[in-house]
Amino acid sequence: MHKKNTFLQKLKAWVNGEDTLLHADEYIAKRKQPQPKQWLRSPSVEKIKSNRALYSFLCVLVAMVFITIMMVVVSELPTFGNASNPGNNEVMERYLEKGIEETGAINFVAGMILDYRAFDTFGESNVLFLAVICVLMLLRRDSKNISAAEEKEIAEDEALDAVDHKSILQVGAKYLSPVIILYGIYVILNGHLSPGGGFSGGSIVGGGLILYAAAFGHQSVQRFLNFRTFTWISVGCLLTYFACKSYSFFTGANHVGYTIPKGIPGHILSAGFILPLNICVGLIVACTMYGFYALFTKGDI
Amino acid sequence: MREVFAIIFIVAGVLVFVIALLGIYRLKYVMNRMHAAAMGDTLGLGLIALGLLMMGQDIFHIGKYILVILFFWMSSPIASHMIGKVEMLTNKDYDERVHGK
Repeated sequence: MHKKNTFLQKLKAWVNGEDTLLHADEYIAKRKQPQPKQWLRSPSVEKIKSNRALYSFLCVLVAMVFITIMMVVVSELPTFGNASNPGNNEVMERYLEKGIEETGAINFVAGMILDYRAFDTFGESNVLFLAVICVLMLLRRDSKNISAAEEKEIAEDEALDAVDHKSILQVGAKYLSPVIILYGIYVILNGHLSPGGGFSGGSIVGGGLILYAAAFGHQSVQRFLNFRTFTWISVGCLLTYFACKSYSFFTGANHVGYTIPKGIPGHILSAGFILPLNICVGLIVACTMYGFYALFTKGDI
Repeated sequence: MREVFAIIFIVAGVLVFVIALLGIYRLKYVMNRMHAAAMGDTLGLGLIALGLLMMGQDIFHIGKYILVILFFWMSSPIASHMIGKVEMLTNKDYDERVHGK
């Protein structure tokens, strides 16, 4: 490269791009990357938090808005304990006087949660299912979220667990867990006749499964409740619940065209949909209880 | 006569429960507390169920109480045993704490 002394030579070199070509590598390394313009600016939390005055102002504003909404709602409510409140006479009277006739269940609570307010119970079952799915996403062991060191640690734990003979626990679980599970099934099936129902019976069944798993290891439970059956039971029960209840929802809030036989109150096969709904809720709760235990101890169902 | 015996048993059971409750609050180490808690579950509940059993109306009534006692006398000692085992396996200062060595 000859020296560029005159202005004309420099200009010529500039026009030809000699400098740029000679230092192309440096130029490529140093140049600014063209950045796409963000037309939709997403608000970044760090930026807002760094402005302390604005941040505290926004906090107070949001809190004030919610407090105002709640205060307005509370001020619209009837006064507490007023004798003429609808909650004090109409609802209670209706449930107690027409409960057996309308739901067919002797246990008023079962009639309430699975007939009058079945949609609410459906939501609760969904909450349980969602909770177990969240735990599953966070805690389930698979090849992506586990390192070799953790794998080794778990293998050591399992080897220690296999050597440890829990003879007292195993004898206890051998005699107690069938009785516990049987009692849980009784509570579920008798939910419309006596105190109990899906939630309490399901947690008893789940407790029996946990005792069995603690004594004999997860492999023995996996023979009949692995991840596949767990998913099928949970989803199947939720869909069955949805199908059963949407029948009466879509045929009208007042059970227009509702022809499910209620049977004779007091018999085991009575109360319309309450018995199958109890079974669905019980299975979901039992699976959820056992699922939590298995995920927190072993990381897999 | 039946009622008198039943009252004696139930009051004794409640006393055992009171002692167990005091023990849980008073004792500091897990082994001591476990002893107090397990005493309430076995002796206290057994005495109360025995007192109620004497007031039983028919054979099913009495049978249920016997089943309750059996269930608790099987499950409570096993649970206590497991707690003690875990404490023994995981506490490094176990010998020092228990035997004073």
